[in-house]
Amino acid sequence: MSRKVMIEVDNVSMTFKMNTDKIMSLKEYVTKGLSGKLKFDKFTALTDVSFQVRKGETFGLIGCNGAGKSTMLKLISGIMKPTKGTIRCNGSIVPMLELGSGFDFDLTGRENIFLNGAILGYSKKYLTEKYDEIVDFSELGEFINYPIRTYSSGMLARLAFSVASVVEPEILIVDEILSVGDAAFQKKSRARMMKMMGSGTTVLFVSHDINQIREMCGRCIWLDHGHTKMIGDASEVCSCYVRS
Amino acid sequence: MVKKEKEEIKIHLVRISLVILAVVAALCVGFHFLAGDQLFYRDSRSNIAMVQPDGGVAELSAGVVVDQIFTTEIERVESITIYWGAYYRINYGTVNVQLIRLDTGEIYMNGSFDASQFGEGTPTTVTAPEPIENLYGVPVYIHITADSAPGSSATPLYLSTGAREGCTLYLNSQPIPGLLSFDVNGTDNIWIGQHYWLFVAVTLAVIAVFLLIENILYIKGRHSYLVNAILAMKKYRFLIDQLVARDFKTKYKRSILGVFWSFLNPLLMMLVQYFVFSSIFQMDVANFPVYLLVGTVCFNFFSESSSMCLTSIIGNSGLLTKVYVPKYIYPLTRTISSVINMLISFIPLVLVCLFTGVHFEKSAVLSLFFFACLTVFCFGLGMFLSALMVFFRDMQFLWGVLTMVWMYATPIFYPEKIIPEQFRFVLDINPLFHFIKNVRICLIDGISPEPLVYIQCLLIALAMLVVGSVVFKKTQDKFVLYL
Repeated sequence: MSRKVMIEVDNVSMTFKMNTDKIMSLKEYVTKGLSGKLKFDKFTALTDVSFQVRKGETFGLIGCNGAGKSTMLKLISGIMKPTKGTIRCNGSIVPMLELGSGFDFDLTGRENIFLNGAILGYSKKYLTEKYDEIVDFSELGEFINYPIRTYSSGMLARLAFSVASVVEPEILIVDEILSVGDAAFQKKSRARMMKMMGSGTTVLFVSHDINQIREMCGRCIWLDHGHTKMIGDASEVCSCYVRS
Repeated sequence: MVKKEKEEIKIHLVRISLVILAVVAALCVGFHFLAGDQLFYRDSRSNIAMVQPDGGVAELSAGVVVDQIFTTEIERVESITIYWGAYYRINYGTVNVQLIRLDTGEIYMNGSFDASQFGEGTPTTVTAPEPIENLYGVPVYIHITADSAPGSSATPLYLSTGAREGCTLYLNSQPIPGLLSFDVNGTDNIWIGQHYWLFVAVTLAVIAVFLLIENILYIKGRHSYLVNAILAMKKYRFLIDQLVARDFKTKYKRSILGVFWSFLNPLLMMLVQYFVFSSIFQMDVANFPVYLLVGTVCFNFFSESSSMCLTSIIGNSGLLTKVYVPKYIYPLTRTISSVINMLISFIPLVLVCLFTGVHFEKSAVLSLFFFACLTVFCFGLGMFLSALMVFFRDMQFLWGVLTMVWMYATPIFYPEKIIPEQFRFVLDINPLFHFIKNVRICLIDGISPEPLVYIQCLLIALAMLVVGSVVFKKTQDKFVLYL
């Protein structure tokens, strides 16, 4: 266990202020504020969660809906800041939270590869080098030169996965994306994920598919309503989770 | 790998510092060249303007002498103008106008005019061969004589009830009440201009010290503002390119004329306004088409960038909640795409300038400075608005109204002098007015504004940038929670 710590999550809590009805306008804000009706309900998504992920590990997050898994991933990828505690990441992160974010439907597949790639933080040189590989993997062929509003949802998902998975990042954050496309493409994408994980990348993995977690992860954490229920060896945690 | 990257940029930082210094120095030298005389002298604030006359002093036949004593605070007196009355007849002879120092009797200006050319209110101007520099606060007098015969002599005009401090009117050496109608024009020295190289040296020294500190900090391994900015620029350059390209590609997608609209739009707007305001409202402005087009181009840029920045954060909410990208990238790319649009609309501006016979003086280059200030101002405003919009969605409706108010408060299609004196402050506090006015001075008048104006405009732009970025920085962590 002397490998470098890539992600260090230290006593992280996340609290959202939820006003009972979402006030968005200045007038309402002032009138409600003056009449004392401005109340915030606090919603705690995560409470004092701590864990470390070392280099090359595949770390799983499990838990039922609303357990705080996605919040955790967003905190780690820097989209949100924790209310309490600190998160330290050493290395470049590629978040695969929701594929195809930032696609513009009026642009062609080719243009979207570059746009989406740029958003994910790839360099121009890298994208130009890997362009053919991305197109090949997505199996889009001629369609790559058409605006993506003409694509089917399967084609979109394939394009998105191909762009997102072309890199070899130091930290990869995956939120249930292995169910993309048809059976053949699913097999292919799984093979690519396995290859990435094998090549020393640190992976943070969220799934509801316990078998997948068992198969891919070394260690995992079980979150339950924002609290750490259990942390440790993946198969052990998974057995407990299934039993509960 | 991270370490390697650091070393790579370290070599660059020294080089970048030197490049920055060289560029600033080059800009200072370039400005000295482009600004010309306006760097050193400005129209004097103590220029004396004529009083509206109500009659003639006396028939100025041979032997009659009119003297107007006055003092001036103009640092470099250049010309005096006298106004004549002709009694509605043709006069003969020659009149002579001199500017003489009261205590030494030295004659500074001397001009003779043919009285037969005078009508009612004809001005005659005597210009000094070289600006006279030592008259500040010194009593001088205008000495007017003629060699005309009585009955065919003109008269200098005056206001019989007029009076001004330090001024006395003499007719044949006898003081009489009243004030001659005369103008005195000149220029004042500009402190910055007189000490320009000192100023440049101080500026360069300040920048050099700043860069030195940055370099030392960097060697010590601490990341300072400049280094962070350079790193971010390197890292997000490609993303900015891509987002700007997207804005641009999607804007004109599926329109037949495409990018050509960026070119055509201001031109058509200018033509409509030109027709409306020149033939229906009879505006009296020198080179009205260019006057209009400068206003239109600047204001279009302002309204486009501000309204695009307004929605930049909420419009990209899909991205913001999925991928980490520094959030200022969104207003920044919107501003950049508006700038590109503005650059395209420079083409019709230049064409109209050429078409209407504007001579591009070297000062035209200086107008770019004000466009740059406008851009910085709009980026600051854009950050402010985009942050505000996240929390108060009413801004999108309010901003439409505010933009309209702002448009009418800016002399885009009307001359600034039609604003009544008591509302002048509206123009003075309107940043857009300052930018637009100075672009017009650079392009249409072909001269540079005085140096202070550059500093003023730069400060306005930077102030907005600071306000915008501070508000943005303070609130950006909460954006995700409100989207």
